[in-house]
Amino acid sequence: MLCRPDRLISETSRFSLRGLRRLQPSLKMSTKEKLIGHVMKEEPVGSRNKVTVVGVGMVGMASAISVLLKDLCDELALVDVMEDKLKGEVMDLQHGSLFLKTHKIVADKDYSVTANSKVVVVTAGARQQEGESRLNLVQRNVNIFKFIIPNIVKYSPNCILMVVSNPVDILTYVAWKLSGFPRHRVIGSGTNLDSARFRHLMGEKLHLHPSSCHGWIIGEHGDSSVPVWSGVNVAGVSLQGLNPQMGSEGDSENWKAVHKMVVDGAYEVIKLKGYTSWAIGMSVADLVESIIKNLHKVHPVSTLVQGMHGVKDEVFLSIPCVLGNSGLTDVIHMTLKPDEEKQLVKSAETLWGVQKELTL
Amino acid sequence: MSLLCLPAAVIMSSVLQKLISPLASSPAEPPRNKVTVVGVGQVGMACAISILLRDLCDELALVDVMEDRLKGEMMDLQHGSLFLKTSKIVADKDYAVTANSRLVVVTAGVRQQEGESRLNLVQRNVNVFKAIVPQIVKYSPNCTIIVVSNPVDVLTYVTWKLSGLPKHRVIGSGTNLDSARFRYMMAERLGIHASSFNGWVLGEHGDTSVPVWSGANVAGVNLQKLNPDIGTDGDKEQWKATHKAVVDSAYEVIKLKGYTNWAIGLSVADLTESIVKNMSRVHPVSTMVKDMYGIGEEVFLSLPCVLNSSGVSSVVNMTLTDGEVGQLKKSADTLWGIQKDLKDI
Repeated sequence: MLCRPDRLISETSRFSLRGLRRLQPSLKMSTKEKLIGHVMKEEPVGSRNKVTVVGVGMVGMASAISVLLKDLCDELALVDVMEDKLKGEVMDLQHGSLFLKTHKIVADKDYSVTANSKVVVVTAGARQQEGESRLNLVQRNVNIFKFIIPNIVKYSPNCILMVVSNPVDILTYVAWKLSGFPRHRVIGSGTNLDSARFRHLMGEKLHLHPSSCHGWIIGEHGDSSVPVWSGVNVAGVSLQGLNPQMGSEGDSENWKAVHKMVVDGAYEVIKLKGYTSWAIGMSVADLVESIIKNLHKVHPVSTLVQGMHGVKDEVFLSIPCVLGNSGLTDVIHMTLKPDEEKQLVKSAETLWGVQKELTL
Repeated sequence: MSLLCLPAAVIMSSVLQKLISPLASSPAEPPRNKVTVVGVGQVGMACAISILLRDLCDELALVDVMEDRLKGEMMDLQHGSLFLKTSKIVADKDYAVTANSRLVVVTAGVRQQEGESRLNLVQRNVNVFKAIVPQIVKYSPNCTIIVVSNPVDVLTYVTWKLSGLPKHRVIGSGTNLDSARFRYMMAERLGIHASSFNGWVLGEHGDTSVPVWSGANVAGVNLQKLNPDIGTDGDKEQWKATHKAVVDSAYEVIKLKGYTNWAIGLSVADLTESIVKNMSRVHPVSTMVKDMYGIGEEVFLSLPCVLNSSGVSSVVNMTLTDGEVGQLKKSADTLWGIQKDLKDI
């Protein structure tokens, strides 16, 4: 009797444990039993908004802390192969539970801990070295994904997969192929961060908050991303309308340099501190928020663009997409200039050139 | 801090002037809720990101001696400014960047090595503080300082001495984190959220912290009344082990991942919120306890303190058992033993 969990004992309707102990005073109730009585007869409901982060490196943990501080999930699971680091990170987060609104924070090497996730954020993989381009990482990270993706799918067959690891556009394609998921449930973090960096720099130039500076960077996340100058605006006022040279070589204000700073931004931070974490972590939480809260917000994220903007190959590139709790349900048809579309097609060809050599 | 090194005249001439007509011609307003974090190691950055994501300041300044790392961290945070409500994030080796701060969080210093006790760090960190503290006070003479670096109780004393600030403006993060860990672990055993378990760990942050079992309660139901043995060696349920786990937890996390940062960052943001928003919440933080509980020396230990925009506006007179008072006195003696030998403060 003493080793049965209280829950089962409460279900015996005839007599309660308290009653029994009144009859047999030698049986001592634990402090917990004296304090708390369990009254629910059914199984607990379990988590409704579970988020998993795969990879507890700097990007994974920055994503985790951003998701936690935005109160986005009722359960957070962490997975990694490095067991000590994983255990240390989960303990450190748990110790902050008093200050958070996520009651269950768990971690394991075994993917069963990720079961029933709504969103799975994949940050695992090797990171860019100083000066290394994202495309160089490919095959290293494909092999890692061949282990990770099937495990995620096994335990959360209905989840939305968000790929962050670089080169993100290729790895989102890889995740899509390996998972067998429909395309609306596989999203790459893409140029969400590039656009955020662009809007920050635009805000600095105009002395405005970035959220009031609108600008979209699409296409490949990285060196050949495409700034859509025609869309850059404040309060609907097109900046290119005020400065028709914007983004071209002849522009006396050199807005093109702003885009170059976005492209170089990651490399610069890596050179200075060894990696980037905070900005990508916050941008991941921004995307997770739209999904979990079913916001139907438009974000530039990496999705299958075959058949759009002249792209013929099965590749993933960033365009403005509507995100909600079903995943990536709609895309926005941007009106692009011919040379902007040409850049997208060129990126697609480059990516396809790499993708077709991969063994999946 | 614009990252674009074009002459302002070129930028101003076209788009900006056509787009925007200024109304107020006065110079920019100074910040009202500026927070500075000294030290951009793992703890400093965890404090920074927690403060930013909780929307606690309108300006954040970072200071460190490692210039590349400092610039990289600042840029990484700035790149996320779209997602934040802190419009100015600055950083420099020179403390001029910290001017007019309401709150300064000091995390600088060397960290505990695996197995190293907090007290061993002392003299190493005192020398670092002699460079830092006068600079802080020079540029923010009216600020409140939160000291996080270990050993926190000694270093809060050192900061108080070096700063010349009144004692209610110098706070040590103290047992705020120990109490948070305690509440989490106790709550886990009971199946409830940490905030629903009320328990205080006071005194020295670390090995000799004091769990006040007489105050532990859920919904006002005192646990010691339900279990008079609670916290003693004779307790069959071994609740004392939970406090031991709290003491060991920092060492354990350090052993597993090399350092701790997330929990301390969150706990500092919690203190920051009470101060910046003038909340008058009670937190266990390290304050000057001379003349309380029979302590005769100028030492800092954690007691329940009311925190608001004045800093530590008052201290709650905790009813402690003789044993608990004895433990506080013993900690005070140990701390004074170290403090009296410190040079040049």
